[in-house]
Amino acid sequence: MRRRPSRAAHLGSGAGDTEEFEGLRVRGLTIVYGTEAGELAAVRQVDLDLQAGTITGLVGESGSGKSTLALAMLNAVPSPGRITAGSVTMSGIGDITRLRGRALREVRGGVLGYVFQASQNSLNPLKRVGAQLLDLARSHGVPQPRLILGEAQRLCERMGLDATRVLSSYQHELSGGMRQRVGIVFALVLNAKVLILDEPTTALDMLSQAAVLQVVREIHAERRLATVVITHDIAVVAEMADRVVVTYAGRIVESGATGDVLRHAAHPYTRALLRSIPRISGDISAAEPLPGRPPDLASIPTVGCVFRARCPLALPICSEVDPATVSVGPGHATACHLAAGPLAVPERTEEVAG
Amino acid sequence: MIEVRGLSKTFAGRGGLLGHRAVPALREVDLRLASGGAVSVIGESGCGKTTLGRILCGLESYDSGSLLIEGREAKQMSLAERRERFQRIQLIHQDPYSALNPTRTVRQTMLASLRLRASATNRSKAWTERRAAELLELVGLDPSYCLPRYPHMLSGGMRQRVVIARALTVDPEALVADEAVAMIDVSLRLGILGILRRLRADLGLSLLFITHDVAAARYVGEDGQLYVLYRGQVVEQGPVDEIVQRPTHPYTQCLLSAIPVMRGLERPGPDRLVPLRPLDDNVEPPGCLLADRCPQAQDDCLLGRPPLLPAGAAGHLHACLHPEARSVVAIPEQTASSGR
Amino acid sequence: MTTAATELPAPSVGRPPRGRRYRGGLLAVAGKALLRTPGRVAGVVIIVGFAVMGFVGPWLYPHNLPVNANAIYAGPSLAHPLGTDFEGTDVLALLVTGARYVLLSAVVAGFVAVVVGTTIGLVAGYLRGLADLGLSRFTDFALTVPGIPLLVVLSTVYRFTSPYMMGVVLGLTGWGGLARAVRSQALSLRERPFLEAARGLGLPLRHILWRELLPNIAPYVAMNLLLAVIGSIYAETGLFFLGVLPAQVNNWGVMLNLAVFSAGAIGSPQALTYLLAPLVSILLLTLGIVLVLDAVDEMFNPRLRTL
Repeated sequence: MRRRPSRAAHLGSGAGDTEEFEGLRVRGLTIVYGTEAGELAAVRQVDLDLQAGTITGLVGESGSGKSTLALAMLNAVPSPGRITAGSVTMSGIGDITRLRGRALREVRGGVLGYVFQASQNSLNPLKRVGAQLLDLARSHGVPQPRLILGEAQRLCERMGLDATRVLSSYQHELSGGMRQRVGIVFALVLNAKVLILDEPTTALDMLSQAAVLQVVREIHAERRLATVVITHDIAVVAEMADRVVVTYAGRIVESGATGDVLRHAAHPYTRALLRSIPRISGDISAAEPLPGRPPDLASIPTVGCVFRARCPLALPICSEVDPATVSVGPGHATACHLAAGPLAVPERTEEVAG
Repeated sequence: MIEVRGLSKTFAGRGGLLGHRAVPALREVDLRLASGGAVSVIGESGCGKTTLGRILCGLESYDSGSLLIEGREAKQMSLAERRERFQRIQLIHQDPYSALNPTRTVRQTMLASLRLRASATNRSKAWTERRAAELLELVGLDPSYCLPRYPHMLSGGMRQRVVIARALTVDPEALVADEAVAMIDVSLRLGILGILRRLRADLGLSLLFITHDVAAARYVGEDGQLYVLYRGQVVEQGPVDEIVQRPTHPYTQCLLSAIPVMRGLERPGPDRLVPLRPLDDNVEPPGCLLADRCPQAQDDCLLGRPPLLPAGAAGHLHACLHPEARSVVAIPEQTASSGR
Repeated sequence: MTTAATELPAPSVGRPPRGRRYRGGLLAVAGKALLRTPGRVAGVVIIVGFAVMGFVGPWLYPHNLPVNANAIYAGPSLAHPLGTDFEGTDVLALLVTGARYVLLSAVVAGFVAVVVGTTIGLVAGYLRGLADLGLSRFTDFALTVPGIPLLVVLSTVYRFTSPYMMGVVLGLTGWGGLARAVRSQALSLRERPFLEAARGLGLPLRHILWRELLPNIAPYVAMNLLLAVIGSIYAETGLFFLGVLPAQVNNWGVMLNLAVFSAGAIGSPQALTYLLAPLVSILLLTLGIVLVLDAVDEMFNPRLRTL
């Protein structure tokens, strides 16, 4: 069963398909990994709109294919994975999955700024930050690479870093939070329009996390970026994103405006995820662990709902038919049989906060 | 009961030959972990919380002060007594990936220490196998699945459960969990936290929970004490919910303000503060350690270092010259509670 | 006991439990790793070939090889596939009977160097402190003792007709580098959380050293064993070639020595096969070991073992 991608309710897409879309648009993206057990789909039929001026939060557990999806936006899926269907269209550039060679390299790190997972360690330990910025400029054919340092300096100051010190530092001389900010400087210094942050706060403590998130939010607003934050921590997304996209086993299972998704979570997975987070106030014992274990590539079912094995509400139909994407509110969609069928009364979220 | 009094530890110079400079990791810390009790220690990276945990496990030495286990001073114990007592305090490392030997199966890992116990107590070989399965089940793992596997075949959450099960092989009295869930997916954290919670309830283990996630601290030890560490100094301490709801030290307030607010389900606390600027521990200020970063700092903060003093409510102590209770943590939205 | 929070494996989907595969033990794993690529198979074939040659070979020939005065420095022929030497002895027979000495002493040397080097390195690196200080000085001493001159001196009092003695002496002069390397590995491993946990559980020192620490450096040690074997082959054939050691025994180094210095193989094409036979054998054996080296990491690293 193949879900038809073109319906009123695009999972992951914005409020409506406006004619003049500005940002990055993913349509029908499927990525498979060639393994000994055959070709396994890590990402299946994903539609996603990253609109300029919107922060999108992409939530998923490890094994949900979220990092693969992020790399696909750069057409940089590592072997043995490959994109088998779909497109990633950047306004003003075209389909990135068709770019090759030099054109592709200039888009990466150019219009598309990417902050790596564990970008704390993605700097070359033997080179000063400034020298690495110059390398970046040269590899992108910037006419006067030195000018980039001025821009980097402005960005550093903007993020509350001591620019002169940072640019002349080696990686080990910077703290985790500082390195994460330097990662963002690298992503933005060539005037990116799309900022992709893969697990930006995973190794940081609470204070650094809050500071980095605030910096991202401010720069996002100032430059009117299309920002996507990829994380396993739905709280981070809930704090800063305008839209939430929940992925499970390579599928988008729910998307919508942050407030809507949190208040009226429509997919059982989203609800379970929200329940599994211990909260700072309210009845702490209301938190419930998510049952089962996260999906791995080999165990993702190819037919039917991908979440059914862990779903408390699974019906026989869930193992036979792929759930269609249905709208459960303005700009809020989910892929669940329960939401589509007669049981689809937009269910109020149970008392998550307690 | 484990107790430390006036514990201080200074690490000698980091930063090479020229920048030879002592870094205080702990400054006169007093802490009590009652049998079956829970103490949570929070603070940012580099505040000394890991050092404190390691000292309690006997993995690190200390410069001054005392460490008492059941009233016995650690430095006066014989080597045998030391080994015996510290064995009862097990550390759960932050990183479940490096806490298990990659070349040994879960079975080998579990049996190594169980065999030792079996020979000490004249128990059979069958007992070790039984006990290993029992402990794995206790932490929510399927023994037949896990025992023959190498660590790299298990997920991060499962590995951390194996680490806890391994710690239980020596029948510990206390666990020191150092950021035990920081490297695990948020969706799986609650499972691990639930185990720690149950171990306290069912086996009466005491727990020192080191974290930067205050909500997690609340989950495992709601009835316990919360210590806030800043640059090696306890700046605020008291019952968990008292500190969370009515923090008086600006540093605690900043830490609590940094917790993400789940918009839609919660609204930010009325007094929520902006994030602090990054820590610069190169300078040793004469006055309050926080003065250079504190949003409420006044002139006298630069002069004298405030001592830890009672703050009104029972057991609540703070070290601030200008304390003021603020409500900074998120408040659950009332609208959401109308459902169901 | 309740197990409210479970992270049980998905039982039906995913991989079947394959723990049993490992019960076949290291041998099965090693065999699998060794036969996985054509290069490794070639390496195994070469090494096994030489081993058989060294083990069985001497029994195929009489104790004293026949001398044929009519065919001195003869070229390759049906009767003498690799020609003959200065007194008309078959070169192939020399090669085969000479293999045992070379191989035995090289293997013994490799083992001695690895056992001594690994033990000293592990203990020094793990225990640190005084033990480290003492053992490291001892290692430095071993490193500064010049191996070849020492052998020359020793050969004046001892004849080295036994390959075992030769191997032990070569091994005892060659463990320093490995001890150094193992020590530094042990130093960095001892701070790893899993070793800290082992100490915290009260596991005895010998368990920690041999069961926890050693397996983690096993690929490194095994690789060094093979490299030490190669090094020993070069060292001893070199010594015999130079004529430093008395040419009392039949081995490849002696053959080389005679080919160059007695037969003048460098200048005359007649004795070419006499010169090339031992040389090619040494190169081939080295090649075999190098091809197998590649499999060592896979044998000892559970992550790389294919399932």
